[in-house]
Amino acid sequence: MFARFSFIAVLALLASGCANTSPTLGSKNISYGDTKAVETVTNEFGSTDLQMIAESMTRSLAQSGIMQGRPVVQVYDVKNKTSEYIDTREITTSIKTQLMKSGVARFASDNTAMQSQVDQLKLQNQSGLYKKATVAKTGNMVAAKYRLEGSISSIVKRSSDYKDVFYKFSLQLIDVESGLAEWMDEKEIRKTTER
Amino acid sequence: MRFKIIAVAALALLAGCATPPPPEPGSAASKVVAMGPLKNIVVGAMRVARENGFMTVNVQLSNTLNSNKTFYYRFAWLGPEGFPVADEEVWKSMTMYGAQTSFIQAIAPTAKAVDFRLEIKTP
Repeated sequence: MFARFSFIAVLALLASGCANTSPTLGSKNISYGDTKAVETVTNEFGSTDLQMIAESMTRSLAQSGIMQGRPVVQVYDVKNKTSEYIDTREITTSIKTQLMKSGVARFASDNTAMQSQVDQLKLQNQSGLYKKATVAKTGNMVAAKYRLEGSISSIVKRSSDYKDVFYKFSLQLIDVESGLAEWMDEKEIRKTTER
Repeated sequence: MRFKIIAVAALALLAGCATPPPPEPGSAASKVVAMGPLKNIVVGAMRVARENGFMTVNVQLSNTLNSNKTFYYRFAWLGPEGFPVADEEVWKSMTMYGAQTSFIQAIAPTAKAVDFRLEIKTP
């Protein structure tokens, strides 16, 4: 009898000893990393490049003084002139987010959001589904004072020993009425791989 | 006599092990947060200005080696209460040529920033 109890107690102890006391589950080969770390896995366009470009452009634009009075800006897509696939919309989204957070600009519906905006206005005004007092009136959308557009290009050079990639990101703020470029900046990034 | 010698040696050792006094608040040194000892990179003069409401910092750095040196840095921006006023910045990599003196410039992400810290790490 005593031996049986001892055996069960030992088994229970062993089982509790093996219990996972850490708030993790799964393979030890997978881990979460620092999203702000310098990423040098390959020398293609990467997260650090995207973050550095967005940060540099946002700070430069915010500090330029052109955004006095929180003007309305319309963001256009960044033209990708590199040979790589780059989701340039993510660059503009990051720039837009950071400018919004710094409180220096307001943003008009951009190309992709415009259709949804028009659809919603039509739905509210033409469907007869909504209370009159709550319907958003047409003709009150705020037009952009400036448009923000840019491009990214690259020069890639290879030799037997090196691969060198040079990225140049340019961004400009253009006054819609006058067509004048009121602010412009660029960010250059060089990444070299030694084989 | 022997005891005295041991006591003096122990005192000397203790003095050698004593941590240096913390940098004075507001000094340039108090703005630098080094992750481990800075190998061959010296942080020099810092200039702070406010342009169009945004804090701008310019920091002088020198490479004491005669060969190229890469290091990593980023700024943290603080409000009047000493708390961060923006998300963490992305770490940047910078390479300095042998014996070069250079500057890094940074602009605060928001006009609320009144103070900063330079985080720096040498590999």
